[in-house]
Amino acid sequence: MSVFVAVDQIDKVFNLVGGGQYIALKGIDLQIKKGEFVSLIGHSGCGKSTLLNMIAGLDLPSEGIVTLEGQRITKPGPDRMVVFQNYSLLPWRTVRENIALAVDAVMKGAPAKERRAIVEKHIDMVGLRPHADKPPGMLSGGQKQRVAIARALSLRPKLLLLDEPFGALDALTRGNLQEQLMQICQENQVTAVMVTHDVDEAVLLSDRIVMLTNGPESKIGGILEVDIPRPRKRMQVVEHPSYYSLRSEMIYFLNQQKRVKQIRARKKTAVARHGLEKVNLEIGFVPLTACAPLAIAQEKGFFTKHGLDEVTLVRETSWRGIVDGIAGGYIDAAQMPSGMPMWLTLGGHQDKPIPTVTALTMTRNGNAITLSKRFYDQGVYNLTDFKQHLLRTRDQRHTMGVVHPSSMHSVLLRYWLAAGGIDPDLDVDVHTIPPAQMVADLKAGSIDGFCVGEPWNYRAAEEGIGFTAATDLEIWLGHPGKVLGVREDWAAAYPNTHIALVKALLEACYYCSLPENAEEIRQILARREYVSTNVEYIQLIDPDSTSCDLGSPMREYAHHQFFSEAAINRPSRTEQTWIVTQLARWGHTPFPRNWVEIIERICRVGVFSTAARELGLDVSYTRQPLKLFDGTVFNADDPLGYLNSLPIKRDFSVAEVILDAPIRRAA
Amino acid sequence: MTTFSPRRRAGADNSFLAGLQKKLPDFAPPIIAIAIFLAIWQLFSLTPGATLPGPIQVVQDTWILIFWPFYDRGGIDKGLFWQIFASLQRVAISYTLAAIFGIGLGILIGTSKLMSKALDPLFQLLRTVPPLAWVPISLAALRQNEPAALFVIFITAIWPILINTAVGVKEIPSDYNNVAKVLQLTKKEYFFNILIPAALPYIFTGLRIAIGLAWLAIIAAEIVMSGIVGIGFFIWEAYQNNNVSEVILALIYIGIVGLLLDKLMAWIQTLILPAEQK
Repeated sequence: MSVFVAVDQIDKVFNLVGGGQYIALKGIDLQIKKGEFVSLIGHSGCGKSTLLNMIAGLDLPSEGIVTLEGQRITKPGPDRMVVFQNYSLLPWRTVRENIALAVDAVMKGAPAKERRAIVEKHIDMVGLRPHADKPPGMLSGGQKQRVAIARALSLRPKLLLLDEPFGALDALTRGNLQEQLMQICQENQVTAVMVTHDVDEAVLLSDRIVMLTNGPESKIGGILEVDIPRPRKRMQVVEHPSYYSLRSEMIYFLNQQKRVKQIRARKKTAVARHGLEKVNLEIGFVPLTACAPLAIAQEKGFFTKHGLDEVTLVRETSWRGIVDGIAGGYIDAAQMPSGMPMWLTLGGHQDKPIPTVTALTMTRNGNAITLSKRFYDQGVYNLTDFKQHLLRTRDQRHTMGVVHPSSMHSVLLRYWLAAGGIDPDLDVDVHTIPPAQMVADLKAGSIDGFCVGEPWNYRAAEEGIGFTAATDLEIWLGHPGKVLGVREDWAAAYPNTHIALVKALLEACYYCSLPENAEEIRQILARREYVSTNVEYIQLIDPDSTSCDLGSPMREYAHHQFFSEAAINRPSRTEQTWIVTQLARWGHTPFPRNWVEIIERICRVGVFSTAARELGLDVSYTRQPLKLFDGTVFNADDPLGYLNSLPIKRDFSVAEVILDAPIRRAA
Repeated sequence: MTTFSPRRRAGADNSFLAGLQKKLPDFAPPIIAIAIFLAIWQLFSLTPGATLPGPIQVVQDTWILIFWPFYDRGGIDKGLFWQIFASLQRVAISYTLAAIFGIGLGILIGTSKLMSKALDPLFQLLRTVPPLAWVPISLAALRQNEPAALFVIFITAIWPILINTAVGVKEIPSDYNNVAKVLQLTKKEYFFNILIPAALPYIFTGLRIAIGLAWLAIIAAEIVMSGIVGIGFFIWEAYQNNNVSEVILALIYIGIVGLLLDKLMAWIQTLILPAEQK
């Protein structure tokens, strides 16, 4: 379908009373198709109502144009009828007279009888027959809004504009009206643009959701397509698999906007001290047991000890927040899943390579695959059983949760499934869900299983919602879990800070590995500012010992490993090479023809070695081939051959990944 | 049913009595207050050297005027009804004119920013001039008692109407204006369907204040302009003839009429305005 409404590179500038200017909107570009329902969502003051007013013609853009069917909009007109937030009914006219005023004013050519008929039809349409002769003052809020909608629709507008139409209504009325509006729009093929700040309302009503960033200079931050089939019912929409991902996408966006606002408010310049280029660091982490080294470095003063006096730990609820923070440059360093530096470097984030390096592997192990208790009850105990079960229930969707495409969980889960002959893309759906939400989703039944770091597997088992189907013991004992990641340009600008940071965290890793500290660490991690969970769910025992009664459904466990004499914290080129093959295998990133160069750039072994030497730690290291549970041996010298030998994989591409030459930022 | 009917009748009687009883707390305090006031007044008038008559004296002196309000002996010697009626007539004429001009100018100022800027200072200045100050100038300009009296009432009553109308028009909620813009209402449609109804509460406030002022002004105008029938001049003449009791009686009548006029406007307002706008 062709473009019906086109918003073309709009800017809106308001002149302030004091003489200054406020740029409300900048470079807004939006095309709306005929019959489409589009929602505008964003925080208060993001200019969504201004945008709506410009489509209505009540306000004109400072730059750019808005067109309706190719005609430039210069003034308001009844073909773009607006339903205002506060109804805007004339209190001195009855319901019928309010609608009639609009009809009479707009359809002057039509005979009186016909106009009467239109008015009556629309009174019936919104079910206000018993109230037709009452003035608006005698109606409830919901009824008033129905009159406003009837008035708008009676004009047969080409475009219906709704400005927070249900904002002032109670939840029950709102729900009913939303369904009515949906039905009316569907029956009459109405094209509509709605301003809202209600996330659920946007998903329910819209075909597309336009998310606006915060002002000043608001722009479109993202557009979501709502693929839920119509006609929609409120209760059924909630069960659609896209619903929660759309919803969480919007909530993430809105939260991110709030954060950006705070970050903008906080002016940050690098504070150099103690011979370090920058001591005020913002380090991102995700609440997991694996964040222990960061928490400990902060709480036990290892950061301060190495000169980093002003470290702030930034708690992100999802890995996506870390990615945005690194991409946006508003966090200095972050705890990352071991595949993330590679994924970012290869352009996994919006197809734009962000060279990211790692100089420290902070944890190993600590992950497990949990399946819903349902499967256990049906006799599914292991991978083979699961495969059989999937074959038996081909008609059902099976959804697995992972935390990020680049995380070890995703890679391991896919590897595990594929090793069992299950195609992770064709036989099941793999969804990205924040770690802390996994247990809730499993409980709600929206996913059937997940692969995630602790404490969530333990918690699912403990609460009797799921069972651990496989742990690191069975997949890859000692695989890299979380690494420290920084941008390459950051590492180049602050080399000494980078070393100090690695030293502080390495020392914290060592502290975490001592069994006598386990209890203290558990207490610290359970606190609100870290994992914020019950302390029982955080287990930090020597990985070789068994933690609790491991009768079914619990099993022997590979606990987090933070440090050992065998230099497990050293960034491993072999492991990164394996990760490259896995990212390419599932089509997340292309396989880089220049993989040797890329791996060399990502693994900052030199920084690690310097840090370890300065701490007086033994950094002896012997290169060993990787061996996973299915017996396949990975040869780091021929990753492409290994990749080709795997039976289940996507059509991957091999491409030269061109990275900018590392530039030393002027300090 | 039969057992019910007597009981219901009894109930009706009771409800009437109960109604009275219910209203008693409303009526009793003002009645008692008036009684006390009259008593104090009477006491003061009994004190030696009192210049004003007491209430009993007033009634004794003016019982002809009280009981025969409709007499007409020609000239300006007429009953109080006719005096008040003549004054009311003047008020009616001038007030109507004031309303027409006031609302008209008010809308002009309210809709046009230029007019508002140009005329507002002038109006703010004229508005503060007291009614009595207008008397000499109107007499000088019009040279006749009757039109001068009418003018004074007019010039006193117009300001609240004008200013309130202007405010009402300026304060039309932008929602209503947006509706008008989206519907592309013509000027005429806008005027009758949006502007007037939306400004009506303000206009009525102005009209209600104006009626009080007009009644105020008539007394002032008539006192100064001799030889006309009207309650104002009646007072003046009674004073000249040293009939203080008549002055007091006329005063009470003026108060009552003013009160009734105000109540009348309030009642009209309730008839015209929908509940939501009050």
